[in-house]
Amino acid sequence: MHKRRKTLALAAAGTSAVMALSACGGGGGEPAEEEVTWVINSLPAAWGAISSAGGSVYVIQMLSGIVPYTGQYQPDATYEYNMDVLAEEPTLINDNLDEGPFQFSFTLAEDAVWNDGTPMTGEDLRVTMMMSASPSEGYCDTCDSRGTTGADMVESVEVDGKTATFTLKEGLANPEWRGMFDAHSVAGGFYPAHLAEENGWDVDDPAQLGEYYAWLHETRPEWSGGPYQIVDGDLENQVVKEPNPEWFGETEPGLDRIIMPYNTDEGTFIPAFQNGEIDGANPAQYSADIVTQLQDIQNATLEIGEGNIWEHVDINVENEWLSDVELRRAIFTAINRDEIANRNFGATYPEYELKNNHIFGSASEYFEDHISDTGQGSGDVEAAMQILEDAGYELEGDTLMLDGEQVGPFRLRSTDTVTRSNSLQLIQAQLAEIGVQTNIEMTDDLGAMTSEQDFDIVQFGWSGSQYFASSPEQFWHSESTSNFGGFADDEVDEHAEATATATSLDEAAEHANAAVEAVVPHAYVLPIMAEPNYFFASDRLANVEDNLQSSYRATYNIGEWDLAE
Amino acid sequence: MLVYTVRRVLGTIPVLILASVLTFVLIDVSGDPLSELRMQQPPPDPSVIELQEERLYLDRSMPERYWLWVTGIGGNGDIGLLQGEFGPSTQSNSYDIGAQIAERLGVTLRLVGAAMLLALGLAILAGVVSAMRQYSKIDYTLTFIGFLALSMPVFWFGGIMQQAGVTFNDLVGTQVFATIGDGLYQAQGEDLWGRITNAFAYMTLPTIVLMLTSFASWSRYQRTSMLEVLNSDYVRLARAKGLPNRVVVRRHALRTALIPLTTVVAVGIAGVVDGTVLTEQVFQWRGLGEFFVTAVNENDSYALMAWLLLSGVVVILANLVADILYGVLDPRIRYE
Repeated sequence: MHKRRKTLALAAAGTSAVMALSACGGGGGEPAEEEVTWVINSLPAAWGAISSAGGSVYVIQMLSGIVPYTGQYQPDATYEYNMDVLAEEPTLINDNLDEGPFQFSFTLAEDAVWNDGTPMTGEDLRVTMMMSASPSEGYCDTCDSRGTTGADMVESVEVDGKTATFTLKEGLANPEWRGMFDAHSVAGGFYPAHLAEENGWDVDDPAQLGEYYAWLHETRPEWSGGPYQIVDGDLENQVVKEPNPEWFGETEPGLDRIIMPYNTDEGTFIPAFQNGEIDGANPAQYSADIVTQLQDIQNATLEIGEGNIWEHVDINVENEWLSDVELRRAIFTAINRDEIANRNFGATYPEYELKNNHIFGSASEYFEDHISDTGQGSGDVEAAMQILEDAGYELEGDTLMLDGEQVGPFRLRSTDTVTRSNSLQLIQAQLAEIGVQTNIEMTDDLGAMTSEQDFDIVQFGWSGSQYFASSPEQFWHSESTSNFGGFADDEVDEHAEATATATSLDEAAEHANAAVEAVVPHAYVLPIMAEPNYFFASDRLANVEDNLQSSYRATYNIGEWDLAE
Repeated sequence: MLVYTVRRVLGTIPVLILASVLTFVLIDVSGDPLSELRMQQPPPDPSVIELQEERLYLDRSMPERYWLWVTGIGGNGDIGLLQGEFGPSTQSNSYDIGAQIAERLGVTLRLVGAAMLLALGLAILAGVVSAMRQYSKIDYTLTFIGFLALSMPVFWFGGIMQQAGVTFNDLVGTQVFATIGDGLYQAQGEDLWGRITNAFAYMTLPTIVLMLTSFASWSRYQRTSMLEVLNSDYVRLARAKGLPNRVVVRRHALRTALIPLTTVVAVGIAGVVDGTVLTEQVFQWRGLGEFFVTAVNENDSYALMAWLLLSGVVVILANLVADILYGVLDPRIRYE
């Protein structure tokens, strides 16, 4: 009896403790009324986005509302200048290379200031450009910019107060000039120049600019040119943002505080969301399992759409057998893209779209379908067999033969993800139907495999972007280091070069589409589909939507975020 | 004892050197830390890659790099274990591996300490009760719980605990348990009671998950050890002398039965630290386990080497402590 009473007393004490803790609200804490917790899906590696280490979507999203930018693509793929920051739309001064060098200018708004009250000027744009260039350009000794193409084209910059005028090197044109300081640029916008001088660095000294560049990447920004400023945080746990008191934009920030915790495990999203610890996220990877769970949660918005990473199957055209374009066409015709996409994403995203243009997504104004009519990716075994028969191939039992010799077997390779593993198994089965035998070999080093051309047929992903001018050159130019399958064709080379050197986006798009049209008959790269992305948010938020055209994703309009009435 | 301890400490030096060589070579041959940069689209300017190769000392031969990593002689001041520098990180120029380890060690020790204390306390209790009531319902129940705990994958059990926490919060209508984070940020500026409730909210679920495997195995050790002692002659003699059962168990049986467990626990520390890799990932604690996962994902070779070396040191030290404790606790053992 005595023992039991002691046990009961212990149980009562434990329960009381828990209830007392409950009454105190525990450590999880209820969110404050005007506070939102938005997850960043990985750890940002730096406080600046220009460097190769810092150039991730996580850094970009962590800096959302802080770094000012001149424009960005909207969720519907239309482009909008940021007229809070700009005084007027950027000016193309000269695009006729016969009359002089390519020239353009940006003029910042008169009332545009950093959060310390210092006016934004053309000098901010000049310094950002210099930090984005290759060390070999001579502006900065130690800047390791992740994207140097645009900045390396610049010959000179003239700054006049709020205006910066850029002159490109002789004979060079940049069709994407308007994006030099926009949300999609290497810096995700532009950085303050005056802080360099305040800290004692001369930006025109290459060594000192390198020190400023390092400082920007290593120091938590107290500066801001956006609607919010960072008031607390680090690179391991979270950042906390509050409204920038000097914000000059038309829309006032709607929230008192935005907390952005870094969460690397998507498996934790659901309990944390249900528990009210997070209000939403825009994960970088698609997870059918999490999407399924989110579909069952009330009071949440869930959107799924076509992401930027698109999967494709490439052929090593230097392989003894695969150098025959007819065999390649037959292989691509036998591959059933719809079956692959459906197996991977059909259960949770039945609206998936197959990718029918290597360069442009279906939402782009420049999109043209170059694949459907060719039959490539259709899984039409009869058509594939017909191509092979016409080219002199024969089927002996289950094996494809040419002149009495077995064709293949081929090494079918990729990295070992669920999606790609599913895909390769299906491709293997589909090619078996036309007698092409393959052996699946997974790798954990995609870089080495592709660069060493250690494959016959390979599936991997490219990251697409609204800025496409350099893509055809990278993918297919005979001298490109990213042309892993060894493809070479003069016509494609010409169109690819013309895309990169066009003077306008329209002209570049025309050449890019011509390059796609020229490369498709060679059956070198078969696009499958863009991997979907998902986004979820609590219904307590207002004006929050995903922007799959931008690395900022849902944070692209963070200044407009608010709580629902 | 002192001579023995010094001799054992000196004996760890060649083991540590060997561990450092193996760690360095294994990581060095396992991949190119710059592979992601080289694969970047559009390709970075060659001068950018050269800059990174120079910064990470990849422009030097493997033996040269090992020498640099250990001594730091000929480096840029950011490398050399003997100088307290673990080397530059691929994650960013500003990522200080040593500072990260120091910061995260505190986070991990907080979790490991709580889990070990809880696991040890419960294991002793369960082991003793099981032994005292051998083949009873409670013995079978505790045995079943032990085997169940041993067989449960951490990531799965972690998810279950998170969901249980959410359900409990829903029931009581407030957030008693948090499912992600270590709560250190949330504890800033809180008073003592606030820090206590905060610790309770953030530590309870991961601590239970982390302690589970250790509890399971330690309780089995304790049961076996206790049974052995309870059936020994000197315990039978104590009982025959008419000593109360409580005195026999506490003073005579338990003390002796704890000796093997002490060494098992000392060696088990390394296992618990390793267990934080999954637990910290599931609960999003920024400790050493998460440091390791990030280093793997980012191909950060120097960070990986630091973690592996640290693990090696923990294992060696734990073994050393176990040996010494054995001598301290068991009067029959004398070191010469």
